[in-house]
Amino acid sequence: MAISAPQNPSQVHRFPQFKYIDAVRWLPPVSAFDRFAAIAFFDSDSNSPSIEIHCVNSNLQSSFPTLTSQSSWAPPSRISSLKTAHSTPQPVIAAATFSGSLHILASDLINGGMIESGGTLSELGFHSGPVAAVDLREGGTECVSVGEDGRINLVSFVGDSSNLSYRRIFDANGLVGYTAVKWASPSEFVTGGYGFGLQWWDQRRPGGPVSQFKGNWCQGKTSGIVHSIDIHPSRKHTCLAGGSSGTVFAWDLRAQQQPIVLAGAGTGEAAMSLLSESEVWEVQYDRYTRSSNISNISSTRILPVMICSEDGILAVVEQGEEPIELLADPCAINSFDINQQNPSDVICSLEWESIAILTRS
Amino acid sequence: MEKPVATLDRGTTCSAWNYCGERLAAGSVDGSLSVLDSRDPSSSSFTCSSKFKAHETGIVKVTWIPPEYGDAVACISEDGTLSIWEELVEGTQPLLWKLCKSFKTSSKVLDVQFGVNQTSLKMVAAYSDGFVKVFELLDPLELNNWQLQAEFQNVIDSVSTFGKASCLTASISWNPQRGEGQESSFILGFNSNTPQLNSSKMWEFDPAHQRWLPVAELALPGDKGDQVYSVAWAPNIGRPYEVIAVASQKGISIWHVGSTPDLDGRLSIEKVALLSGHNSEVWQMEWDMSGMTLATTGSDGRVRLWQSNLKGTWHEQAAFEPTSS
Amino acid sequence: MPGASSDSTSGALVPLLPEAQGAVVYPLHHGLTSPVSRLSISWSRGNSLRISVFASPSVNDSDNEDAGGKVVEVKLGGGDGEISDAHWRRITYGSVSPFALLQSRKNAASGLSKMSMNSSPYNVDWWEYIMEYSKDISALLGNQKSPSNPVIDDPESVIKKGQEPTSLKAAWELLEMFYAEKPSQSWLPERLVDWLADYNSLFSGTHPTVHSKLIDFQKELVNLQVVEDDPKYWEVMSSALAVGWLDIVVKMLRLHGSYQLDQLSNRETENGLVEAVAVLISKMPRMRLEQKAGNLGECFKAKPDFVKAWEKWRAQINKLDSSAFWFQCAHQQTREGLRSMLQVMLGNANSLCTATCHWIELFISHLLYIRPFTVGLESMYSLAQKCIQLKSVASAHRLMRLIIGILGENTEVVLAECSKGFGPWMVAHALELLTTGSDLAEMLLHEEHQNLGGISIEELHRLVYAEVLSSHPLTWQIAPIYLTSCVKQGMVLLQILLSKQPVQHNQLLFKNIEICRLYELDGISSNIMKIAGVYHWKHGRKGSGVFWLQQARDEYRLNRIAQQLFDSVGKTISDESFKQWEGLIQLLGSESKAAGGLEFLQKYRDFKKSLQQVHDGKTADATHQAVESLISLMKTPSTPQRFWLPLLYDSLKLLNWKDRPLLNVSQTNLLLNKLQELSMARLRPDFIEAELPSQALNSVRLALATNLGRAILEE
Repeated sequence: MAISAPQNPSQVHRFPQFKYIDAVRWLPPVSAFDRFAAIAFFDSDSNSPSIEIHCVNSNLQSSFPTLTSQSSWAPPSRISSLKTAHSTPQPVIAAATFSGSLHILASDLINGGMIESGGTLSELGFHSGPVAAVDLREGGTECVSVGEDGRINLVSFVGDSSNLSYRRIFDANGLVGYTAVKWASPSEFVTGGYGFGLQWWDQRRPGGPVSQFKGNWCQGKTSGIVHSIDIHPSRKHTCLAGGSSGTVFAWDLRAQQQPIVLAGAGTGEAAMSLLSESEVWEVQYDRYTRSSNISNISSTRILPVMICSEDGILAVVEQGEEPIELLADPCAINSFDINQQNPSDVICSLEWESIAILTRS
Repeated sequence: MEKPVATLDRGTTCSAWNYCGERLAAGSVDGSLSVLDSRDPSSSSFTCSSKFKAHETGIVKVTWIPPEYGDAVACISEDGTLSIWEELVEGTQPLLWKLCKSFKTSSKVLDVQFGVNQTSLKMVAAYSDGFVKVFELLDPLELNNWQLQAEFQNVIDSVSTFGKASCLTASISWNPQRGEGQESSFILGFNSNTPQLNSSKMWEFDPAHQRWLPVAELALPGDKGDQVYSVAWAPNIGRPYEVIAVASQKGISIWHVGSTPDLDGRLSIEKVALLSGHNSEVWQMEWDMSGMTLATTGSDGRVRLWQSNLKGTWHEQAAFEPTSS
Repeated sequence: MPGASSDSTSGALVPLLPEAQGAVVYPLHHGLTSPVSRLSISWSRGNSLRISVFASPSVNDSDNEDAGGKVVEVKLGGGDGEISDAHWRRITYGSVSPFALLQSRKNAASGLSKMSMNSSPYNVDWWEYIMEYSKDISALLGNQKSPSNPVIDDPESVIKKGQEPTSLKAAWELLEMFYAEKPSQSWLPERLVDWLADYNSLFSGTHPTVHSKLIDFQKELVNLQVVEDDPKYWEVMSSALAVGWLDIVVKMLRLHGSYQLDQLSNRETENGLVEAVAVLISKMPRMRLEQKAGNLGECFKAKPDFVKAWEKWRAQINKLDSSAFWFQCAHQQTREGLRSMLQVMLGNANSLCTATCHWIELFISHLLYIRPFTVGLESMYSLAQKCIQLKSVASAHRLMRLIIGILGENTEVVLAECSKGFGPWMVAHALELLTTGSDLAEMLLHEEHQNLGGISIEELHRLVYAEVLSSHPLTWQIAPIYLTSCVKQGMVLLQILLSKQPVQHNQLLFKNIEICRLYELDGISSNIMKIAGVYHWKHGRKGSGVFWLQQARDEYRLNRIAQQLFDSVGKTISDESFKQWEGLIQLLGSESKAAGGLEFLQKYRDFKKSLQQVHDGKTADATHQAVESLISLMKTPSTPQRFWLPLLYDSLKLLNWKDRPLLNVSQTNLLLNKLQELSMARLRPDFIEAELPSQALNSVRLALATNLGRAILEE
């Protein structure tokens, strides 16, 4: 475990919770001053999972922000995947559980942040076993869910229908399992799974993946699974993935089977800086780093990427450059989220029952 | 204080946790078997996920099969039949518990335990006629294909056999270590009317001659006929000797067994403690994962915990008495 | 002690107490109404024991709604009534880094001392490291250091209620001052004074203390018109003075009625005496390193300066005591109260005894006013014994037992009290302080015990703590840090711990494998992956199953799976079902060794596809493609031998192609050689016979021979 301190002057605030944190997501802001986050907890003393809306108040007088719970909602099981999306009038939260159910929630942030359940899918055929990952489409009207059972479901919700309906996009019958998913466009999404495999799906061309990125490109070296995928709205042809053994790579649809490895295993280049050898739990394009000259970066170059890992690293990785460590904790960082509206803010969940909020300056 | 983790159906007579303590199998007097677990990781509240009729008569004992071979249990029923059940998905069918194998013999099965080594799974079953059978699994993915590897009686000199033995209970405990180069071995004791069968003996597999040999008898000369209720082989995390607990009518004895055999192939043994506590029959003995604490239950209805101090003296560290209020 | 317990009996159930007492019988609440017929026990991970309680089948079963049994879990050795489980976990998490850092420094130091033979690892730096460690741990146990020192302006509030002090923190501070701060022993008495000021309230629960007296008086204060008329006012002040809470005393003195503006003139002498005492109190010389901001008393670091000041101060008290002003003081309570305070300051043993409640208070008062130069644990110990005789208590608080152990310089007792009173966490972490700087203690704690299988007491306690950590799903990942500091038995226990983790959920599985990687436990990690592989394979997730078995490099099972897949791929060759297999075959990869013979399925798929086309009548390209695939399959060493004959038998149509021989001479020879090899292999006992018609081999041989003949003619 690395104990070295980060070099750059970002402010880190830790909030011990007395509960395990399964997932953290920012919610779109309703006013300029308040920041809200949706947090999935698991209280191991009482075996009770919960989803809570927390308000992050940065008090200007004291530099110490506070994290206060606004409301709480009890799911039937622990949360395996949590996503939020901007929607009017209220932001939408999609929460998937280990028992295989999906919950669409809405939170009225202006009036106390109460959580309202917008619909639940918990029927037997939806997923068999846990839902591995979900992703909400921009605008929050559709949600795609994947599982290790090999099922890909598309859940549609319009208005406040309490009964959600879903459509089976594909069922691999467990021959292939999916562990991550991300929308690329209103009709396309990307899934990831075992052997660092990625699949590109297009609803307009049903029946199977439109394009597949072959796993096992690391040729005999330790293989692994994809834990997280991100796609930049301005670079829809490039799919970013993070997974086992510190691996972060990008798949450019135009350069079919050749991955662009940003970190980790399976690289022939000795110059590759080894950021972490353990699991990369989440990857997101970092809209903060050099966000100003994004247009200057050549379209073949991968934009800066933030990652968090099992060995406690939160870092920004840029192609061909030394990674910048933002946090080096003695315990795992299991998930993080960059605030879309205010990308200097990052919220992370730490293994040792605490939340960290990072403000970059 | 104590934390309730599960509630059992009426008529439950026996239970067993799997290797990681995340699933509980509970057998009932009507022959049904319930499996309790939780869909949430790290949860400590378990509810029934399946229940099925495993036997026509009541279940008296249930044991999990090592996890390398799937989620499966072996059940012994009142009439002495042994069956193996496995949870699996076949084709497009939903997940269900399926009968893999049923062993029916004229004599009753009293205890069954599984031992794993590098490549194979062995099953030892002790029968009411004083015989022991060792089976080996032929296909690692199919729990229906067992081959009888050996059959012998629990006696130290193999010349004599006892035809008319009648055994009430038996207790088997495998050596929990499974490192490389470790030969399979287990300890076995009977509660029977035949004194020679009773005392617990340690059996070790001799790969050169493909046979099982008794390497130690854990009883003092005067106690060899004592009926044995339960045996438990402690995990060894670095001791130069093995520690084994044997419960007989005289109490619970703790044995140290050396690792190098003498010229006759016997291991050196030393009885380091005789503990009395449960007054009469000991039902069950379990070592914790470090092999430092022994938990026992018996017909006095208490759970007792035993530990050794720095001087090597074993003593009762605590006891639990069930109360309804 | 299972779960939470009351403060006085929170003796943790840990092994190896120096003296075995009779076993405690704990009640086990199960909530069943029917009588219990039988129990079943099972150790879960670590030291948590699960007990199944089965109810007797009742006579009238139908109208009994009661459950048939309960399973309850008891955890041994963890917990403390004062601190919640969740709070314990926070302490647990926080202590990892200080512990790990100290261990690595220790390893580095021992490495250095080995190089330069006889230099002790305990150099100046070492004391700094130990103090850093101790301070880090102490900070975890609570932040507010002195809750009871009054720094408030509210004149009515004598004593401030800050963050509740905990016995755990109090115990750690004791250990810190006696073991980690050893070089500064001459300030020890004053450290104890501060300690008591911080933690006196802990003893109030079972016994009256100066603190509880102050709290009681505080409540009455609101209703008092003239404080100095109340004898309690004077009594409480003497008590506070006896234990050295000068600030409180001075503050209370200033509540005296003679300070009120309207009274000042007619109570001039009285006020003068009160003020004189207050001044004397605030000028009390104290031998300590530094004074907390705002606290009273004058500090002296060196003994000679202190002695001089002390004597001067005592002379001033004596002078005041024998002053004539007392006769001019009309208020009797004030006169008597002030003079008894002077007696306290003069070290009158009887006054001290009357002013204090608890023996530790008496002990502190002796250190303050009678023997301020007390150095060395031996003299402190005998003083403590004397105080205990004077103020005997029925049941000793766990902190008191710890103090006695420390003063008695008996490491074993200290360890046992830490263990009994504060549990395995305390022992595992306190050991670092106990072993520092004392060769005797170090020898005792590092000596290998044959009765423990060759481990030391230090290792034993770390193992015990690791077991506590292992018993909770959120803390087991910390256990390896402590287990790897156990040189003899830690690694095997770690292996057992890792093998007992569930594999169903990927996140937990990866965390488990990560620990295996860190400690290079490849064997354990392959076994874990094997278990995961079998679990997924059997539960309908074939892709995940194959992946994990590949990671585990379990050729044995993969070959069995290849057999099963071969059968099903062979059966379901229709295009639709093949789409699903596609992903799995994709995953199996092409040339990687780890595929364990499965990658041939990919080639087999291609072969089957073209063969299907041949059968469908789409000839030309298809036949060519099929032959290519067949040759490629037969050439590659990854095709298992048992598939050779089925492949050839499937290709009979190609071999017997009507129009022309499809295979050239060398291709035919290759296949004939393979057939020859197969005939040889069949003689071996481990040969697996394919399920084919008995004439299969002969018809293949005949077809190949015919083909060879035709091919030779063509060429």
